Amino acid sequence: MNLKSVKDALTIAALKSIPDFKRQPLMLIMIGLISSIPLYFILVFGGQISYGLVGAMVSTISFIGIAAAIQDITVDRYLKIREMIVAMPVHPISYAVGVALAPLVISAPSLIFFTAIAIWLKILPLSSIGWIIASLLLCWTTLSSIGFIISTYLQKASVYTLNNLSNILGFGLIFIPPVYYPEELLGGLSWVAMIFPTSNAAGLIRAYSGSLQLSPEIILVRWLILIAVTIVSIIIVSLKAKWREV
Amino acid sequence: MEAVKSVDLVKVYHGKETVEALKGVSLSMNEGELFTLLGPNGAGKTTFLRIISTQLLFTKGEAYVLGFDVLSEPNEIRKHIAVVPQDAQTYGNFTPWEYCYYFSLLRGMTKRKVEENSEKALRAVELWDLRNRICLTLSGGEKKRAIIASALASDADILLLDEPTSGLDAVARRKVWAVLRELVEQGRTILLTTHIMEEAEMISDRVAIINKGKVIAEGTVEEIKGLAKEKFRVVIEGSLQGTKLLQNNNRAVKFGDKQIIYLKDEDEAIELVKAALKKGLKAETAPITLEDVFVKLVGGEEA
Repeated sequence: MNLKSVKDALTIAALKSIPDFKRQPLMLIMIGLISSIPLYFILVFGGQISYGLVGAMVSTISFIGIAAAIQDITVDRYLKIREMIVAMPVHPISYAVGVALAPLVISAPSLIFFTAIAIWLKILPLSSIGWIIASLLLCWTTLSSIGFIISTYLQKASVYTLNNLSNILGFGLIFIPPVYYPEELLGGLSWVAMIFPTSNAAGLIRAYSGSLQLSPEIILVRWLILIAVTIVSIIIVSLKAKWREV
Repeated sequence: MEAVKSVDLVKVYHGKETVEALKGVSLSMNEGELFTLLGPNGAGKTTFLRIISTQLLFTKGEAYVLGFDVLSEPNEIRKHIAVVPQDAQTYGNFTPWEYCYYFSLLRGMTKRKVEENSEKALRAVELWDLRNRICLTLSGGEKKRAIIASALASDADILLLDEPTSGLDAVARRKVWAVLRELVEQGRTILLTTHIMEEAEMISDRVAIINKGKVIAEGTVEEIKGLAKEKFRVVIEGSLQGTKLLQNNNRAVKFGDKQIIYLKDEDEAIELVKAALKKGLKAETAPITLEDVFVKLVGGEEA
């Protein structure tokens, strides 16, 4: 990607977030509220706030990552905005990155809010904040890429089908333990938590917060899996990101 | 240089059914002209435009835009074109200004140039006063003009407009026509698709009629009108019988109480009008329209 491609990605992110920011500020609260629903029930039923807060952080970035990528691309196709952008000197990867960045910008206030509370309550150590942000960013990259791949492969599906699918996937991925719940709930299937980027990132954050005891080797394996899944999804996107239809 | 050129362009869609949307389309469009692709629904106009605008791969043939190969040099072409797709809609939260501003930024213009062009484009489509209103609150015509403005602000050499005035009322449509003609006078090239005959007749430098994936006529509006052997039309309201002009193998079409009779000669047309008026019927004559020729050429109606 050259400088123009980076600039284009930022322009697409701006055009997909700034007008919404300006005119629908309540949307920012809504995003935070949706992620807070499980947190509310966890607290009401005597669960630990640490589970709820880490879950809220991961789900904010994940749900918006996969659902928004699918919905944005689908809406662009429906409104024919995509056709207008195809006919511009814009690289398809810039478009994909821009579409992924926009929801990240929109969800950033909620994410910062949950992270700040977790640090304030000493659930997350400030010294591990770099690792936590890295795991969240990898999770977001993977889910945005999956969203892009799905909307590209299911080009002919209706807007409604893709909207429903994106919501199902978004909810499905954030309710796999240990996003909101202890990993022990998976019992012998705890390896499942390593496959999914949401549960893997949540597990790593919990390990850094001290609420999940993992050996350094397992932490390393989890990081490698998270990075590998991200790289594979990026490779698929870069291979699939072509403007022209056949 | 030719702005757009296609040679034996074929496009086959493979799906549940195989559809040959273009069956060897050869067209040539000059720089600085407004070229209209006219055709009924499903004729292949949009397919042609989407191929030229590098959105769709073709099956066979050749296509060039400003000398660049559509197949191998799409990135070069994209620097020179702007597209308004058929039935394009607006983001509800966008203002007309944001449409022009962001889309022009994506073309790599400087911020200053973007602002200059956006203002010029919005003034041209008479949306300057509404530039900060969100599209959700604009009328259908205003939304359409906002999208057209984003293409105008682009500085692109060639504008590819797919039925840009469909759904607009007559007043809004004429405003768009005036803008398009002005752009052509300024040296831009426009490829327009439409099924509105009046539009093609009023603003085109040249027209190609496309039907079932084939070009069936190409030339200026006058040249296309010249393809019909009849040069005049007489519209009569009421029943006129017994006139030899009606029995003379002249093409006639009836719509309820009204009939249109096509004649080769102006004197015959005047004679027929006089005969109708004598019988107390309403009648008028005029030269044939592009629509008359179009209907005859695409075979929707025969004498």
